[in-house]
Amino acid sequence: MVELKNVNVHYSSGVDALQDINLRINDGEFVFIVGGSGAGKSTLVKLMTREITPTTGRVFVNGYNLNKTKGNKIAKFRRSIGMVFQDFRLIQELNVYENVAFVLRIADQSTRFIKQRVPYVLNLVDLAGKARSKPKELSGGEQQRVAIARALANDPGLIIADEPTGNIDPRLSYEIVELLKDINRSAGTTIIMVTHEHDLVKHFGGRIINIQDGAITFDDNIGGSDEDE
Amino acid sequence: MRTSNVTYLVKKGISSVWKNLLMSFASFSILMVSLLLVGCSVLLMMNVNTIMKNIEDTNEITIYLKEDVSEKQVTHIRSVLEKNTDITEVTYYSKEQALEDFRNNMAEYSELLDYLDDNPMPETFLVRVADLSKIRHVVNTISEIEGVEKIKAPYDFASVLLQIRNTFTLIAGAVLLALVVVSIVIVSNTIRTSVFARRNEISIMRYVGATSAFIKTPFFVEGMFIGILAGAAAWGLTWLVYDSVSSLFSADLTLWQMFGFYGLIPFSDIMWIVLAVNCGAGALLGAVGTVFSTGKYLKV
Repeated sequence: MVELKNVNVHYSSGVDALQDINLRINDGEFVFIVGGSGAGKSTLVKLMTREITPTTGRVFVNGYNLNKTKGNKIAKFRRSIGMVFQDFRLIQELNVYENVAFVLRIADQSTRFIKQRVPYVLNLVDLAGKARSKPKELSGGEQQRVAIARALANDPGLIIADEPTGNIDPRLSYEIVELLKDINRSAGTTIIMVTHEHDLVKHFGGRIINIQDGAITFDDNIGGSDEDE
Repeated sequence: MRTSNVTYLVKKGISSVWKNLLMSFASFSILMVSLLLVGCSVLLMMNVNTIMKNIEDTNEITIYLKEDVSEKQVTHIRSVLEKNTDITEVTYYSKEQALEDFRNNMAEYSELLDYLDDNPMPETFLVRVADLSKIRHVVNTISEIEGVEKIKAPYDFASVLLQIRNTFTLIAGAVLLALVVVSIVIVSNTIRTSVFARRNEISIMRYVGATSAFIKTPFFVEGMFIGILAGAAAWGLTWLVYDSVSSLFSADLTLWQMFGFYGLIPFSDIMWIVLAVNCGAGALLGAVGTVFSTGKYLKV
């Protein structure tokens, strides 16, 4: 569960990035966060991943009070969430298998568990055949699927995807969202997807949170066009 | 942390040494020179100390008593000397013993002594001090005792030797300190290069929940591994240097023996200690260098 209570973020540069945000995302939800650039989406993601703490107000994610989470507790907290980025953030020197195995090492899993888990998650994103490829050899869509596999590796209750379709072919964007929807449906993983692509949001529908000038201007369910078909 | 994951981090650190070869080599070289000098200084000090010890062992203060000293006074002097904590050994020579000794030492002239009416030898105490540096103090204390005529002590030679040792310690210390600082700076730059090369990976590690220990361990392994290699190499060089210096002294030691020098300590007696000290110091310098480059730059 993600909960923000009366959150304000004021940067030292003088910018009020977020103002009086109250937000609650329950377990198992799939939520789109939309808004133009500079609206405050990135700040919201940074709050939820404990990159920053709010100037005032409180942030709770996965049972952690992030205002009070410090040091190695931050590392432990981050293992309880999966992150997917616009620029994939894969380690270029490592192959697909190693990129996924890497987070399991970080979570101090045994080599035996890693050997079972990595093929399993690569299979979920349909990349079992590319385990030995380096990120450079893959298309944008495939790289993003590796990143999703990596986010799934620790079996997190929450995945935060920050503009996951921003760097890939629009046609493949739908596949990525479809994959995230599948994960949400089958495993009950909470998914928060930040995007500025309105077409995508309209297509899939569901709970939409719109941010504008640092404030929530819309938070409701809409029917997706794919459901109309 | 699991053993398999520790192994993983150690491998990662060592592989980084090769990836960062030029900087690693720079660190290795400077550390090796530093450790070579450290090793040679330590060996030199060990040998000087052995010499000092030899001198200390033969180091006697001779106390001549006055002609008219009474038996009671002799007993008193002995008890005062024995109570002095700086003195380790007290031996008494009566007039007769002294003459006898003199006779034995100067066998060729012993007949001359037969012409003497009186025994001209004074009563004598021979004492030894534990610490050469306290010799002057001991002499001063003894000279105040009633009945003492004259004192003979080798403090001139002792003080010269002490001065040499102290001066050497000071110079060697200053040079070593400078080298240690330079070594740490170079190691820390090497590690910083390594951190920079892996900055992308490090930022990803943070996002996926790596603890700061997990992120830093490979860098420590890298720094310490370079240090240990440099220590081992310096040890080999120290051995070569030491052996060639040893051979200089192997010929004729008669002159040196006068100064308490009976040859260098054989390298085989101390080789493992030197190796352990070199590698340990190398690892320590590597670790300290790493602390300086990872402390600020690697916050989770």
